[in-house]
Amino acid sequence: MNASRRTIARLVAPVLALALVAGCATPPPADDKEAVAEWEQVNDPLEPLNRAVFDFNRAADKYAIKPAAEGYRAVMPKFGRERVHNILTNLNSPLTFANDVLQGETDRAVQTFFRAMLNTTFGLAGFIDVATPAGIPPHEEDLGQTLAVWGVGEGPFLMLPIFGPSNPRDTVGLVAEMFADPFDLAMANMGKEYISYTRMGMTGLDKREALLDTLDEIERTSLDYYASLRSLYRQHRASEIKNGRGGGEKVPAPGLSGTPKGDELSQSAQ
Amino acid sequence: MISRRFLLAALAGSFLGLAFTPIAAAEADPKAFVAQLAGKAMETMTAKGLADAERNQRFRTQFTTDVDLPEIGRFVLGRHWRAATPEQQQEFIKSFEDIVVLTWATRFKDYGGDLRHVVTNAIADGERGIVVESMVERDHQTPINLQWKLKKGEPDLRVVDLVVEGASMAITYRNEYSAVIQANGGKIDGLLGAMRTKIAEMQAAKGTTKAN
Repeated sequence: MNASRRTIARLVAPVLALALVAGCATPPPADDKEAVAEWEQVNDPLEPLNRAVFDFNRAADKYAIKPAAEGYRAVMPKFGRERVHNILTNLNSPLTFANDVLQGETDRAVQTFFRAMLNTTFGLAGFIDVATPAGIPPHEEDLGQTLAVWGVGEGPFLMLPIFGPSNPRDTVGLVAEMFADPFDLAMANMGKEYISYTRMGMTGLDKREALLDTLDEIERTSLDYYASLRSLYRQHRASEIKNGRGGGEKVPAPGLSGTPKGDELSQSAQ
Repeated sequence: MISRRFLLAALAGSFLGLAFTPIAAAEADPKAFVAQLAGKAMETMTAKGLADAERNQRFRTQFTTDVDLPEIGRFVLGRHWRAATPEQQQEFIKSFEDIVVLTWATRFKDYGGDLRHVVTNAIADGERGIVVESMVERDHQTPINLQWKLKKGEPDLRVVDLVVEGASMAITYRNEYSAVIQANGGKIDGLLGAMRTKIAEMQAAKGTTKAN
């Protein structure tokens, strides 16, 4: 509990400080309809602030997070990293299960439940993922997705320090899950917060290590790294919320929309 | 390793099969088209004993035949396309082709490593559109879901978008490039300049001469 609270205080303070310095982006004039449509579709009124946070994140990544992830990859063999990933996924299953239930996804809730049962027992506390070969693949759910299923709008795009691309809805989900995680609550009750800290650190390392090649590749090939990540994040998130179902139909492809070439996709591209 | 060879052999087999059956060639199977496209690209990028210039040239030819880059380029530029002069449009399409080819050459090279590409499904999407679903399988990791958006053209099928885990590449390019235009005061020349710089950077990083 204390661990999470302090983390949040640390997160919120610099955001507020930067908001005062950086301010907001200027919307386009109302008579330029296409520019307004684009502005709404991009959904980033706090862009100057977000870009400032992004610069901070890139510096933190360059000097601390990425070297740590590279070190982790260099020191820990793939076999070990997979075991760590399995344990972390298993620790997350109570939250995933709760979100499956809250979203009314009965089948996925049952999957999560049996995965946790199998992997905690036969898989030695999640050390080995025995459920996937048994035909129950893993999936992730979080409170941000649950809120979305309940009809809560995403709000403007938000670049969080360290945590990266997000929005107010997903930030609420992230913070609430920090307070509500059953494993962390149990550890706090036993006075063993250091275990929660270790878990948080390992989760970060695991995620960054998995993204090492992908992020390098996006940075290598993009003209505007920030704009690329913003677009990829928002599209991917929209598809995650729908659990990958029917995500494709909402996204028009060039030349398929029936509209004249080069016309606005805006509304549906979200 | 064995399974990948088998896959490539199967792909080559199905390709020959199509080539010699006039009916099948006229009514090209979208699933086979995507499987071949990915198979050919991986093969070109990983085949041994090819000079780099030759390899890049071959990849570019295959890729630009199967993927409708001018169509995607017009979509990516969106409302700025109409504001651009014909010279700017031409330069944009040329630079866009360079960037996309340089980007995907590397990606297919990686895919040709220890990844398996499996085509799973094809669905009609409107009158002329087809969506082919496929998966990139990796050892001990969740597979990556892909959707290939195809358009029935006059002679053949062509790719007009690739959706990776819900993120459309065409829309990502579109959002990104419009951000660059905006950062340059709404000027397309700013984008063209940034693209030239990026192409030079990517070619330098590759350490090879540009094909064509």
